[in-house]
Amino acid sequence: MLLPSVINASPSATCETMLLRSSPSSSAFRYAARRISAVRMAATSTASEEKGASSVEKEQRNQLPSNPPPLQVAKRLEKFKTTIFTQMSMLAIKHGAINLGQGFPNFDGPEFVKEAAIQAIKEGKNQYARGYGVPELNSAIAARFKKDTGLEVDPEKEVTVTSGCTEAIAATMLGLINPGDEVIIFAPFYDSYEATLSMAGAKIKSITLHPPDFAVPVDELKSAITKDTRAIMINTPHNPTGKMFSREELELIASLCIENDVLVFTDEVYDKLAFEAEHICMASLPGMYERTVTMNSIGKTFSLTGWKIGWAIAPPHLTWGFRQAHSFLTFATSTPMQWAASVALKAPDTYFEELKRDYLMKKEILVEGLKAAGFIVYPSSGTYFVVVDHTPFGYENDVAFCEYLIREVGVVAIPTSVFYLDPEEGKNLVRFTFCKDEDTLRAAVKRMKERLHKR
Amino acid sequence: MERKLSKASRSLTSSAIQELSHLAQRCGAINLAEGFPDFPAPPHIKRAAVAAINADLNQYRHVQGICDQLAVMMKQNHGLDVNALTDFVICCGQSEAFAATILATIDQGDEVLLFDPAYETYESCIILAGGIPVNVPLEPPHWTLNVDKFMKSFTSRTKAVVLNSPHNPTGKVFSKEELEAIAAACCQMDCLAITDEVYEYITFDLQKHISLASLPKMQERTIITSSLSKTFSVTGWRIGWACAPTTIASAIKNIHVRITDSAPSPFQEAALAALQSPPGYFKSLKAEYEARRDFVIQMLSDVGFQISFKPQGSAFVFAELPKNWLVSDIEFVKVLIEKAGVAAVPGCGFFHGDIDDQNLRTRYVRFAFCKGSDTLNAAARKLQDIVGSTGHLQL
Repeated sequence: MLLPSVINASPSATCETMLLRSSPSSSAFRYAARRISAVRMAATSTASEEKGASSVEKEQRNQLPSNPPPLQVAKRLEKFKTTIFTQMSMLAIKHGAINLGQGFPNFDGPEFVKEAAIQAIKEGKNQYARGYGVPELNSAIAARFKKDTGLEVDPEKEVTVTSGCTEAIAATMLGLINPGDEVIIFAPFYDSYEATLSMAGAKIKSITLHPPDFAVPVDELKSAITKDTRAIMINTPHNPTGKMFSREELELIASLCIENDVLVFTDEVYDKLAFEAEHICMASLPGMYERTVTMNSIGKTFSLTGWKIGWAIAPPHLTWGFRQAHSFLTFATSTPMQWAASVALKAPDTYFEELKRDYLMKKEILVEGLKAAGFIVYPSSGTYFVVVDHTPFGYENDVAFCEYLIREVGVVAIPTSVFYLDPEEGKNLVRFTFCKDEDTLRAAVKRMKERLHKR
Repeated sequence: MERKLSKASRSLTSSAIQELSHLAQRCGAINLAEGFPDFPAPPHIKRAAVAAINADLNQYRHVQGICDQLAVMMKQNHGLDVNALTDFVICCGQSEAFAATILATIDQGDEVLLFDPAYETYESCIILAGGIPVNVPLEPPHWTLNVDKFMKSFTSRTKAVVLNSPHNPTGKVFSKEELEAIAAACCQMDCLAITDEVYEYITFDLQKHISLASLPKMQERTIITSSLSKTFSVTGWRIGWACAPTTIASAIKNIHVRITDSAPSPFQEAALAALQSPPGYFKSLKAEYEARRDFVIQMLSDVGFQISFKPQGSAFVFAELPKNWLVSDIEFVKVLIEKAGVAAVPGCGFFHGDIDDQNLRTRYVRFAFCKGSDTLNAAARKLQDIVGSTGHLQL
C-alpha cells in the first residue's frame, strides 16, 4: 500500500508520519517495539482483513455471533486510578491549604519566551508543525545539547519534539518496549514511568533508593541488570528525592548496560536545577550515546509547565520506533509554543544562573522551615523537591500524615508511597516542593512551625 | 517477522512516496494536498490566546469552562445531555483523544470495524493497542454503506466501530438511514462506537451533521472525538476532546494523563473564546467552505474530471480519474506536480481493505480546499495552463 508523503505534513495525508516515508535501517526495525513493526507490516501488506485468518475464523465472520461481548474497559487500565496529585489538590482546595504538593510554579515564565509565543500566534504560525518538530526548535535543541554535553547530534534524525516530556516517556515505552520485556526503574519513581511501562506490557523490576542519601545499591544493581534486561529508566536530577546520580553511579550503570546490551532511557527535565552537584548526561559517557534516549522539556526550566514542549534525543535506530509511537499518540506538537521554545533555549547563561540563584533562596526558606518544624530533612541536590521523614509526628503512614497536614495545618505535601511498586516502602516519606514564590513558602513554613504537633 | 518483508517491497513503496513529496517541494507546487488551512486563524481566537499568555495562564491546567461550553453545544446541536464535570477529556488534539480512547477500550485481539477508504491513523492506533482493524468498504461512486457487508464484518471479537463523518477523504456525510443501521448493529452486537467528528461544522447544501451518539440507545456506548483544529483553523494548537459516558471518559482520562498530562494551557483558554463564537461565525465558516468546494469542483470539471460525487462535508474532494486517463493516481499526481505545479494526494493510501473493483484503488486523487482564494485561483490558472486542445489535461 502506497502512502503519500507531502510537504508540511498533515495528518489527513498521513504521510509525514508514515512508516514508509523513509526506509529504516534493519537496526531501527530491530529496536522498535513489535507493535510498531506490526503497524508497518499492516501498512505494507497487500492482504486485507483476511490476513492470517483461518478458514474457521473466516466462516465465523459470515455469521452473526449469538453471544455479543459485554462492554468493558481495556485490561491495561485495571491498575490506574486518578493520580495522587489530583486527589491531594482537590483536598487542598477544599481546605484552603497552601499547595507545596504539585510540582508546578505559582509564578510565571520569562517575558521574552511568552513574547515569542505571542509573536508566533500573530504571525500565523498556527497550523500543524512537522510531526517530529519545527526545524528551528530541533536545531535549538541540538545546539543546547552540544553546549551542555559536548555531543553533536543531527537535529533532523536524532531529535524529536513531543507534547511535554510526559509524552516523550510514553512514546519511548510504547515505541521501544515489547510486552514481556524487562525494564528496571529506580524507586521512588515518577508515576508515569510505571503507568506507561504497564501499558506497554513490560515486566517491571524496581530497585529502591534508600534514605539518607538515596545512593544506588551497587550489589542489587549488579544482580538486577542481566542479559534479560531490555532497558533501564534513570531520572536525574531525581523526582521526588532531589538526588543527582553521581559520575561513579552512572559509570557503573553504563558498564553493566554495555556488557548486557541494555538500553537507557533518561528523564532530565530538572537538569537546569542542579544545585549541589554537576548534572551528568548518561548519553555523554563513552559507549552510551548509541543506546540512550535522552528526554527533557522546557516546562521546569522556563516555568511554563502548561505549554507541553518536550523532546527526545536518540540515535537514529532508536529514534525511528520513538517517532512512530509519537505519531500515533499526538501526531504533532503545539506550533506557536515550539517557536517560543526555540527562542527560550537560546537564553543567555545569565538566565540559568539567575534561575538557580532564585531556586536556591527558595530552597533555603523551605529546608530551614521544615527542619525547624520537626521533620527529618534529607539533603536534595537538585530539582525543586525535598523529601522528609514525617514519622516524628506519629502518624502511621504518609497518606494519613498528608491528610492531617492539609486539614489541620493547611499545607499540602505529596505522600511518596505512590512512587514505589510496594507502597509500604514509601510510607515514612513525604515530598514538598519549593517552586513557589517566597511569600507562599514563608506562609507555609509559618503554618507548619505553629500548627504541626506530635500526636 | 518484519525481517521477512522483502527489501524490494520496502524500498519500492517508500521511494515512490518520497519522490512525490520531494518533487512537490522542488517544484514549489501549490499545495492542495495537506489538510490544513493556508489562511489565518480568526482574530478573536488569536487575541484570546495572546491574552492568556499575558495573563500568566501558562502552568498545567484543566479549563473546566471548555467542558461546560461543549456540554451546552452537545445539547443545542444534538439534543444530548452530557455531564460537563465527568464526561469530557481535554486532549492534545483529536489525535490524542482518539489514541487515548483506543488505548482505554481496545485489548489484545479486539476487532475494530473501520469504513474504507479511511484516514490512515485509525488503523495504526488500533494496531498499537494490540487490536485488529477490520475494513468495511464503502461503495463507490457515492461511498454508500452496504449494510449487508457491514453486518457480516462483525464477529464475537468485535469491540468497536469507528465512524468518521463528515468523512476524510471522500467528503461524505453519513445519512440518517446509514447512521440508524450502524446504531442498530452496535446495539445488537453490544459494541462501542468511536466517532471522529472534526469536520462537524463543515457541511454543505443544508446537510446537517448528525452525531451518532444522538440516536436512540447510542449515547451509552459512543465516544465522540473532535477538536478545534478544523472549525477554527488552528490545526497547530493541539486542542481536542473526547466525550463519553462517565466510566469510559474516566478511563480515557487516566490514559491521557499518562500520555501527555494536559493540553497546552493558553490554547485551552482560547478554546473557550472559540467555542463561544456567535452563530454567525459558524454560518460564515460553512458558506466560505461551500464556496471553496464549488470553486474546486468547477476547477476540476473544467480540466476534464467528471465529479460524480460532490462532497457534502469536510475540506476534501475525492476525485475519480476519468476513464480515458490511463494513468495511476500516483502517476497523475506526479504529472500534476511537474507539469502544472499543483500537489494533491494519491487516493491509494486511504484504501486498506478490499474494494470490489481493485483497479479503483489507484483511480482517486484527493484535493483539499481549505485554502485561501489566492491559492485556489492560482491552482485553477495553473491547471488551465496545461489543458490541451481537447479542453482536458494533457497527460
